[in-house]
Amino acid sequence: MTGHTRVHGKHGDFAIEAKGLVKRFKSGKSFVEVLKNVDFDARHGDLTMVMGPSGSGKSTLIAALSGLLRPEEGRVDTLDVDDLWKLSGSRIDKFRLDHCGFIFQGFNLFPALSAIQQVEVVLKFQGLSKADARRQAQITLEEVGLGHRLHQKPSALSGGEKQRVAIARALAKNPQILFADEPTSALDGENGQVVIRLLRRAATEHGAAVICVTHDPRLEAWADRVIHIEDGVIIDDQRRIPNPDATLASH
Amino acid sequence: MSLALSTLLYEWRRYMAAVMALALSGLLVLAMTGVFIGIGKGFTATIERSSADIIIMQPGAKSLIGGPSGVPRRFIPLAYRNPAVVEVQPLDGAGGSFQSVKNVDPTMSQADRAKMGAPRQEFVQTSIIDTTPGAVTIPTDYSQELVDALRQPYTVAIDETATRKLGVKLGDRALYNGQTVTVVGITRGYPNMMQATIIMSRDTLRMVGQADTGPRVGPLMVKLNDPSQAERVAAELNEQGDGQWKAWTRQELADANAGAMFEEGILVIIIGGCVVLGTIIGVAITWQTLRGAIMANIKEFASLRALGVGMGSLQWIVMELSFWVGCVGVIAAILLTLLLQALALMGAVIIALPLILLIIVGGGLIVIAMLSGLLSLGILKNSQPADLLR
Repeated sequence: MTGHTRVHGKHGDFAIEAKGLVKRFKSGKSFVEVLKNVDFDARHGDLTMVMGPSGSGKSTLIAALSGLLRPEEGRVDTLDVDDLWKLSGSRIDKFRLDHCGFIFQGFNLFPALSAIQQVEVVLKFQGLSKADARRQAQITLEEVGLGHRLHQKPSALSGGEKQRVAIARALAKNPQILFADEPTSALDGENGQVVIRLLRRAATEHGAAVICVTHDPRLEAWADRVIHIEDGVIIDDQRRIPNPDATLASH
Repeated sequence: MSLALSTLLYEWRRYMAAVMALALSGLLVLAMTGVFIGIGKGFTATIERSSADIIIMQPGAKSLIGGPSGVPRRFIPLAYRNPAVVEVQPLDGAGGSFQSVKNVDPTMSQADRAKMGAPRQEFVQTSIIDTTPGAVTIPTDYSQELVDALRQPYTVAIDETATRKLGVKLGDRALYNGQTVTVVGITRGYPNMMQATIIMSRDTLRMVGQADTGPRVGPLMVKLNDPSQAERVAAELNEQGDGQWKAWTRQELADANAGAMFEEGILVIIIGGCVVLGTIIGVAITWQTLRGAIMANIKEFASLRALGVGMGSLQWIVMELSFWVGCVGVIAAILLTLLLQALALMGAVIIALPLILLIIVGGGLIVIAMLSGLLSLGILKNSQPADLLR
């Protein structure tokens, strides 16, 4: 782990570098250490898979990396920011708004908004004009294969389509870092495959550092790098050649 | 369309409780205030709808109701000195007992008549018109037939809402202060919930012995050759009167009459109580509804937080949402009040809704909604994106 993280890094440059992360949660009278001195890094253009059983600390890790949950110890250097946790809360929000995309297991779409509006809302907060936001939202939704569903509300969309809207919402900002938390676990095999391919493409074509937390071992086939975490400790870190044509059998 | 407005429209059922709470708070205040203004209007409708452009009263008068309003008779020729004035008539009126004599011998005692189920003797307010064609005292919505009928001696007209109370119908005879009068006209749109009003000609009033014949007369009703000049002529008349009288335009007087009711302390207490009650109920229900609605979308808000949308922006969304809830509440309040107004009119109760009242109450409702929004902002703290990572 050498060199510094950069905003517009080439494939392989560091996007995130975290050192000595410790996170404890209070449980009754004692503390449970969820992250135990974890070092982590992720590179531009990589699809980095963080795997582990539930309770292993993988979700806490990406919460700490993305500025959502303050770790007790350790530092996170990310893109052009030295030590993310030294920034104020609003600066961290701004950093995420400018650079980070998020995809969750639940789709978390506003029931009142159509697909294109879901994406537009975030872009407008980023400061795009109405027309630019609409154009960008349409392009991104077409990219995830929803060009024909632009004006449907979530109630009219299937689970896979909803997750694709959520992905479009995260990708439309052109994030340098994309966090995904169990993005396929609410989906069947076919839709899961569509989703993981989109994440793969975000890394390969847009050069984003994609960090995907999952417990589904079948997703490994698409990953550049697979990190296993257990009981708050990284026990395994392998690089591998991804197979973009892998297929995901039905759950 | 904004996120807040789309959410309100799409999930309107969720916000219904808040909208109804606001609407009912608004209805409470609008209806109570409107009824009191309406009571005043019941007494002054005949004057306010006359063709008088200017009314001249004593300098100290604050409205037509109460206060010294009559003037010396010699003011009538003085008012004519302004070239714009074409007609001046003193307002006259009286009050008296009114007894239906239909089917019942009027010479029987009250007790005997009551046993026979006869209508009770009622005390009525009497207003007059002049029956000369186009007279200034004739309300503009009176038909020529009505004026012609009232020109006959000992004839009266009553409003349709008073026929049941007075126990008479068109063509019936009745006793007014012991003298026989005939009901020759039924008016529509002149209800008075406090006291029935009967209309007669100035000549009939004189014949029943109640007309002003002395040196003092009622307020002077003044007709101009050009009604659009009322404000200018009123100013001229005031200058001419040199402090002896005060000339009001009809609109000024109508506004003053509406406000006059609120000089009664008890009315202020009743309406003040309604405002306080309405505000508390409105804020409590709207606040809780907004909290619930925000909690229902808390994951979506949290996902926006994760994408970097700041807490301030989410608070802004909530405030915008409460503003729109307030606007819908105002519309609902006004519609409900109009409905109640129509129902009340059937029972001869006027609910007067001047625009200024609607604006004040509407603005108040939006303030209540925004206040509820402010109170709900705390709930946004639950939009922790880290909670979505499970």
